[in-house]
Amino acid sequence: MTLSRTITVMDVYDRAKTGERVEEKEWDYKIIPKTASALKKKYGIKMDKKKIIPEDPELCSNLFKAGLELLATCGVYCIDTNRVIKYTEEEILASLEAAPKSAQYGEVGLNGRMIACRRHDDKRPPIIQGGPTGAPCSEKYFQDIHQTYAQEPIVDTIVDGVMQTIKGKDPMPGTPWEIAAVKAEAKAVREAQMRAGRDGMGL
Amino acid sequence: MRPTDSHEVSQLNELKIDVSALTFDAHYVLAGDMIMCEQMPIYGGYAGGLEETTIVDVATTINSFVMMQATWHLDGPTHVRWGITTARETLAVAAHACMAVESHYDLMMGNQYYTTAGPCTVMCLLETAAQAITDTCSGREVLSGVAASKGVSTNYTTGMEARFMGECAHAVAGMPTAKVNELLDKLVGMYEKNYKTAPTGKPYEECYDTKTLLPTQEYLDVYDEAVKVMTELGLDYWTKKAKLL
Repeated sequence: MTLSRTITVMDVYDRAKTGERVEEKEWDYKIIPKTASALKKKYGIKMDKKKIIPEDPELCSNLFKAGLELLATCGVYCIDTNRVIKYTEEEILASLEAAPKSAQYGEVGLNGRMIACRRHDDKRPPIIQGGPTGAPCSEKYFQDIHQTYAQEPIVDTIVDGVMQTIKGKDPMPGTPWEIAAVKAEAKAVREAQMRAGRDGMGL
Repeated sequence: MRPTDSHEVSQLNELKIDVSALTFDAHYVLAGDMIMCEQMPIYGGYAGGLEETTIVDVATTINSFVMMQATWHLDGPTHVRWGITTARETLAVAAHACMAVESHYDLMMGNQYYTTAGPCTVMCLLETAAQAITDTCSGREVLSGVAASKGVSTNYTTGMEARFMGECAHAVAGMPTAKVNELLDKLVGMYEKNYKTAPTGKPYEECYDTKTLLPTQEYLDVYDEAVKVMTELGLDYWTKKAKLL
């Protein structure tokens, strides 16, 4: 079936207001586990923990089919509207076709990088995104910690940590202090990158 | 933030979302920003066991590109008991999900790092190595870390862990899968019995000189010890590097 266009986040929101109403507990404890278990059986999926990376292409393909079917069958649950956002399989595949295959990360030519799809046996290494990855950092050492990442030549981009306080205040979610902390984090990471001589590096 | 910086939005466990995430994703989309959509499926959580969690991980990964129009997806399968991404089971979930997607589509995918042990310990670096090898050799585009000590202790994170993550990734890129699996089985076996007694390590201010921002000699020695383990496991990256210097 020909689609008029790929799904947008606005379409998703509209569906979150009109989809089937379901109790969250039913979603968590019945719908997701039961469907995942049924798909495991349907596609005969069995993983071997000794082989952390799969060596069987059929297993990989079946896992993809099972994941696709899970998304197309169940959809996604919106916790604010208690409704299910559904997509057709055609809509899902159209979005995957349209997904970017490469992107500019930071200012390329000025310590930025190009990120591009790679394969499991690719000799090109992945992008190394160094940083606390959401771990808590004190206000006192926040910038210095990030500079220790930026000064590593093998690190391509920075993922920042969470500033525990801002001017000594707790940056509680949904408060003005949260905004102050997030802005301070971004500025501190930029300064850390510049001090390490990595201006233009992605964040 | 520049449009070419990675703008984060998160899904919820499992296959759930809230309206506020959709709202700020709309801002990213309309501003033409690079979008990273994160989700960390829980092994042993709502989904259940190994295969079920992997199926959910595949669905979640796909959903980032449908729901959020993401540029790339950031994974992070987490062990329900240990709260880490470096356990054998969570490494297997991540690798299988990534290879499953790769079998049908080219999408950009990353993974994030939560180790049991803390900075300035060999165990933390070996956990980091195992995940870096897994991610690189299952085709991931971005390695994002490291939140050492499970990412919950203040200042337990430094650039040295990221150096090891990067060097291990560069060391194994292009290695045949069967050989990688042999290496990983031995490497994970070295630390997976030690979760209960994992060393907490040291915070940043004890791992680095806080004036010069250089790692301490103690951490450099720990790093060399981890390099020795990886070299004995068959990686010649550091031997080759030493010859060039």
